[in-house]
Amino acid sequence: MPTSRSILGRAGLLLLALGALTLVLVDVGSIWLGGKTRAYGRALERAQQIRVLTGQLQNRLDDAETGQRGFLLTGDESYLEPYTRAITLIPKSFEQLRPRFQETPDQPLLDRLNAVVDDKLAELHRTIDLYDQGQREQAIAEIKTDKGKILMDQARELIANLVATSDADIRRSGDDMRWGSATLQISTIAGSIIVVILVTGTGFIVAGYARQLEQSSEEVAELNRGLEGRVQERTADLMQANEEIQRFAYIVSHDLRAPLVNVMGFTAELEVGVTAIQKLVAEVELKQPELVGAEARLAATEDVPEAIGFIRSSTAKMDRLINAILKLSREGRRVLTPEPIDMALLLGGIVDSLRHQTEDAGAEIIVQEQLPGLVSDRLVLEQIFGNLIDNAVKYLEASRPGRITVSARAEAGRLIYEVADNGRGIAAGDHERIFELFRRSGTQDRPGEGIGLAHVRALTRRLGGLISVHSEFGRGTRFEVNLPRILPAQTESVES
Amino acid sequence: MTSAESVTIVMIEDDEGHARLIEKNLRRAGVFNEVVHCESGTAGLKYLFEARTVNPNPLLILLDLNLPDMTGIDILGKLKADEQLKRAPVIVLTTTDDQREIQRCYDLGCSVYITKPVNYETFSQAIRQLGLFLSVIQVPKVP
Repeated sequence: MPTSRSILGRAGLLLLALGALTLVLVDVGSIWLGGKTRAYGRALERAQQIRVLTGQLQNRLDDAETGQRGFLLTGDESYLEPYTRAITLIPKSFEQLRPRFQETPDQPLLDRLNAVVDDKLAELHRTIDLYDQGQREQAIAEIKTDKGKILMDQARELIANLVATSDADIRRSGDDMRWGSATLQISTIAGSIIVVILVTGTGFIVAGYARQLEQSSEEVAELNRGLEGRVQERTADLMQANEEIQRFAYIVSHDLRAPLVNVMGFTAELEVGVTAIQKLVAEVELKQPELVGAEARLAATEDVPEAIGFIRSSTAKMDRLINAILKLSREGRRVLTPEPIDMALLLGGIVDSLRHQTEDAGAEIIVQEQLPGLVSDRLVLEQIFGNLIDNAVKYLEASRPGRITVSARAEAGRLIYEVADNGRGIAAGDHERIFELFRRSGTQDRPGEGIGLAHVRALTRRLGGLISVHSEFGRGTRFEVNLPRILPAQTESVES
Repeated sequence: MTSAESVTIVMIEDDEGHARLIEKNLRRAGVFNEVVHCESGTAGLKYLFEARTVNPNPLLILLDLNLPDMTGIDILGKLKADEQLKRAPVIVLTTTDDQREIQRCYDLGCSVYITKPVNYETFSQAIRQLGLFLSVIQVPKVP
């Protein structure tokens, strides 16, 4: 079933492609999600560092301012200590912060913070310088301008902004990741469903295909069985038809014989009468010749005996023909007894029995070695092959040495035996005719009634076989006898 | 020979020509017994079963196998089933020399089986032998 096979091919390929695509999609999804997760991790780490670093920065700024205030209030150099530590550490804070903001949208924010912090540090530095130069009043006035406080507030605000933006970053990539994982989960579930469907679908297709295969192989087996049955049926029909013909022939020949007995019997009576009349005519002629007319004499001595002679020869011929039919029908009525037969032995016997004729004709008969044997009726086989080989010897071509070969081959559980010769051959128009009763072909220079092949065909059919002829006029003839290997034993004999 | 002379020959034969030929040849062979000719199986059986009361003579039956109304085998079966008639010798005359048919007739109890040949000489010979046979055998009386 090529159609369903191609259906399986197309549908199967489509399903496989869909399955592969689903897997690729799920893979791409998880790789993408992995990227998202890593990004989230990075954002989280950065935000934390920013928090710590900005916190440090804030503390340092506070320290610097606290140091400045303490120094300005007390004039004690030791109060300046947090300030001097802070101003060396603050640039480090920026150094650490800068790479985290490089090429990010928040970089200007950091730059502004840097600027504000620089301004603040400059303000602190200025006030301390003023104090060192002894202008304490001026330094206080400078602080009172609130310029430093504003800068400090600005710095605080900017730091808070930085923390806020990095927090927003965490949220954003967290949302991204959650969305991605949710999507991946859904698509994994969807993919799994699709794969399950595909596997089920493919399974169904494969199961269906297997079922179809099984079914079609069963169909083939069924067809085979049907074929065997039909052959058996036909053989049985043929055998039955053959039997009917045999029975018919038997009845006909029986009934034809009855009038023939009369014709022959009364012809004999006539003969007896004619003898008496001939005697009378002779006697009368002797005593009173004038009483015997020429007509009467002719009738008594020639015409009637001649007529009787023709009637006799005709009835004798008819009797022979009827006997031939009777013989045929009797053969047909014989119960067949199948037995294992060694064909080489059987044919050897036939060849031996024809040795005399073969030698006279200067011909040779070659029987193939290792002929396959069969289970059939011995007598019938002897008659079939006896007739065929006898015919081959009988109708050889005088101009060349005769060569007759008998061979066999097996074909489709049957055996085909061949009897081939290089004899005179049979004209194409006569190939069917030669199997008919009382019909003969070619030059009628050999004795025969035209019964042999009719007999052979009837016998072959009885064995459930077929016979065919292949011949070219003037070249030779080959008869093929196709027989079953085993002839089934007959369950019923044919009764008249 | 007295018993043979008094034997009545019952010939059941539908073919008139055959009947005539048989009778002629019997006469020619020197058999001059009374010959009763029945042209069908029915007529033959009727005669045989009534003859016991009419004809006191022992019977010899010449039976053809191919009859239009029944087969000679049927008649043979009926004769052999009858207590009295089963002793009467039966000579089967037929056109066939089929071995199985001959065997069946003998199985049913026929005394002699003769094939009606087309060859007149052999036929005459057979009938003559039959005449000889008839003059030799002791035909039991049908009481």
